[in-house]
Amino acid sequence: MRRSLALVWRTLRSMRTALVLLLLLALASIAGSLVPQAANSPEAVAAMAREDPVRAEVYARLGLFDVYGSWWFTLIYTLLLISLAACLLPRTRALARNLRTRPQSAREVDGFRHHAEVRVAASPADAVAAARRVLRRRRFRLSAPDGGLGLAADKGLAREAGSLLFHWSFFLLLLGVAWGKGTGFTGFAVIVEGDTWTEAHANYDGNIREGAFFGEDHTGIGIRVRDFEDRYLPDGQPLDFVTRADLLAPDGGLLERVDIRVNHPAAVGGLAIHQYGYGWAPVLEVRRDGELLAQAPIPFQQDRPPEGVSPLAMPWRGALKLPSLSPQVGVELDLWPDARGLVGVLAGRPVVMTEARDPVLLFTTYRGDLHADRVQRSAELDTRDMRQVSRGVLGLGRTVDLETGEEAEPDAPGLTMTFAGLRRYTVLQVSRDRGLGLVLSAAILMLVGLLPALFSSRRRVFLRADPAPDGAVLRVGGFALQHADRFEEEFGRLVQELSRAAGPARDPAGVGAG
Amino acid sequence: MTAAGWSEISTTAFSVALFAYLAAMLGYFHHLAFRRRAVVLAASGVAWAGLVAHAVSVVARGLAAGRVPWGNMYEYSSLLSLLTVAGYLGYLELRHGLRQVGGFALMFAVITMAIAVEFLYVGPAPLVPALNSYWLKIHVVAAIVGSSLFALGGGVLTTLYLVQEARERRAASLPPPIMGGAVDVEAPPDHAGSADEPVGGGTGRWGLLPPAAVLDRLAYRTIAFAFPIWTFAVIAGAIWAQRAWGRYWGWDPKETWSFVTWTIFAGYLHARSTVGWKGRRAAVLALIGFVSLLVTYYVVNLWIVGLHSYAGI
Repeated sequence: MRRSLALVWRTLRSMRTALVLLLLLALASIAGSLVPQAANSPEAVAAMAREDPVRAEVYARLGLFDVYGSWWFTLIYTLLLISLAACLLPRTRALARNLRTRPQSAREVDGFRHHAEVRVAASPADAVAAARRVLRRRRFRLSAPDGGLGLAADKGLAREAGSLLFHWSFFLLLLGVAWGKGTGFTGFAVIVEGDTWTEAHANYDGNIREGAFFGEDHTGIGIRVRDFEDRYLPDGQPLDFVTRADLLAPDGGLLERVDIRVNHPAAVGGLAIHQYGYGWAPVLEVRRDGELLAQAPIPFQQDRPPEGVSPLAMPWRGALKLPSLSPQVGVELDLWPDARGLVGVLAGRPVVMTEARDPVLLFTTYRGDLHADRVQRSAELDTRDMRQVSRGVLGLGRTVDLETGEEAEPDAPGLTMTFAGLRRYTVLQVSRDRGLGLVLSAAILMLVGLLPALFSSRRRVFLRADPAPDGAVLRVGGFALQHADRFEEEFGRLVQELSRAAGPARDPAGVGAG
Repeated sequence: MTAAGWSEISTTAFSVALFAYLAAMLGYFHHLAFRRRAVVLAASGVAWAGLVAHAVSVVARGLAAGRVPWGNMYEYSSLLSLLTVAGYLGYLELRHGLRQVGGFALMFAVITMAIAVEFLYVGPAPLVPALNSYWLKIHVVAAIVGSSLFALGGGVLTTLYLVQEARERRAASLPPPIMGGAVDVEAPPDHAGSADEPVGGGTGRWGLLPPAAVLDRLAYRTIAFAFPIWTFAVIAGAIWAQRAWGRYWGWDPKETWSFVTWTIFAGYLHARSTVGWKGRRAAVLALIGFVSLLVTYYVVNLWIVGLHSYAGI
């Protein structure tokens, strides 16, 4: 048992294991880019479940729809982290030891890969002192002066330090990710122009993505949307989307007026508010016998356009539900913000609708059971148990009798619907991630560590001076642990400099390098 | 000058550059096959001229669009090949005299540019809002610089290393010919006389190539230089993603593949100092990294739907 544990530990410690795990991680990541991911493209996952349920079932079992959260992805990177730590711990200890101790001198200098021998005019002690100065200037670390005539020097510890900084920062980065995601959340707010939205769990549209340690500590901050504006080139290429909003404290006091644009989020109370989407919200009024039953802007949604068609050429869909009537009434609505869009589709030439011009609503009225107790998308009407009553076209400011589909006065007897106004709504993404600072710092540290790790290189140089007639013989040896090809020249220059510093001997024939 | 005028200058200069690179590529290859010094000097001159035209094209494109000229795939491809050629001419040829590599470096540029002009061309226009951020500009520049270096190191130099390494291994295992004169005995006149070209490790079609060890070292240096730049590109991309989408990492296909590319080259850097992975295995990793880079760029942009999809390229 003990032995097999030791074996596992040794295996994890080896660079080869880390390398294989790293490549496995790359391979696993690729799988996630080829199979649609539930988090990024839920429609594609749903489509596969419809079209090929068997394959979808197999994929789901294997976790292929959520690769980056699957057990095997987690296993690979956990093993990689353990392996990494197993490599790094001894290396860190060794570096710490190395930093505390000075370079050790060697007894024989000419056993090294590069070595040279020069005659100098200075005495052995002076030659060593001069060499100390030269090496210190070249930013070598030096061995302690031991009174003897030997000297050891090294440089390039930054390489190992940088490498360790890089790798440990990677841990720090993951820590920041886990903490930020774990305590944070992301949700979407749908706000019609003029409305105020309060940051609280119930007010989010659809699901909120919450971290495992999220404490439901919503802020109660208000967002009052003054207006939403979008601008386009004539061909429909978007130029700008902007939500102009007032940020309100929980007590209603104004905190800040902000313009929220794509790439220019707002930040308040630890929240980030991003421009995410937009749409049209027709204001509809429903009256029975002239008495107002309902009056509200309804955010409409858009279907995904067919290939090659701009979303701007597509109608917006919505539904009006009147569950309090008996029998219940539902109205399916298609909004064409620009009447030319409708004409264009009828003529087979889609027109991009970049602004509201003579907006029209196509409506179809149903009567029967709405199944309102079942969860459904607000833009959809479940018409299985309903019967179509009327259909027609409604212009802005006009009123229609829902029974007959004929135009009517708002206070006419019967059930009427008025297209009273057309407003924009904006979709804001509201999120909190407390790990951002840590993640960014870790990423910067990784980069900082990477540079010396790749470009600094370790060199060790040894030297001794022996007495000779009228001067000394300087023996220099050295080797490079990295970029050895460049060291040859470097070593030659160093020897020259050492010899110059100690005063070259009058007899140049004594110089030899090997 | 009007935007249309700049745009026309840009496309004309692009064509000039493309044809200059093509001609220079043929020249470099001719040199590799027939070893005529005059041809390779001419090829080098034509490549430099092409580089100047290319720079004009990129600058004019920026003036035509009224913004930085790396906002869509056409512009990205153009700048990528510009930097690859500049990296080759400035570093490998001027600094190391590696003319033998020229044909391959230019081939990468020519193919990239041909794809760009044939399939990816769009007229100059302002950026869509999601792309309009200075972090994007930084991110894309870093990505292009990193990509061009990866293309040189992981693509061109590594391929040649693998070819040369296989040759050297074969040469080492084959007994020397008993009767002299089996292949290419006569040394090429220009080869014998030129001091600025590293002497190739032997004879045959690839005889002019530098020794495998030199190619390996240069490939490593290029990749090691590219790696922090690529790392920075990924980080800058994440910062931009945080600003644009409110999350710095979401495993979008582009993010995933840039991570995969990063991982593979990180693997390469480690493999070079791992027993049993040095040499050929590490080089194969670098080559896979290059393929991954191409996937990150072409396949992800054009075929995989994600936030980085280019609406109408």
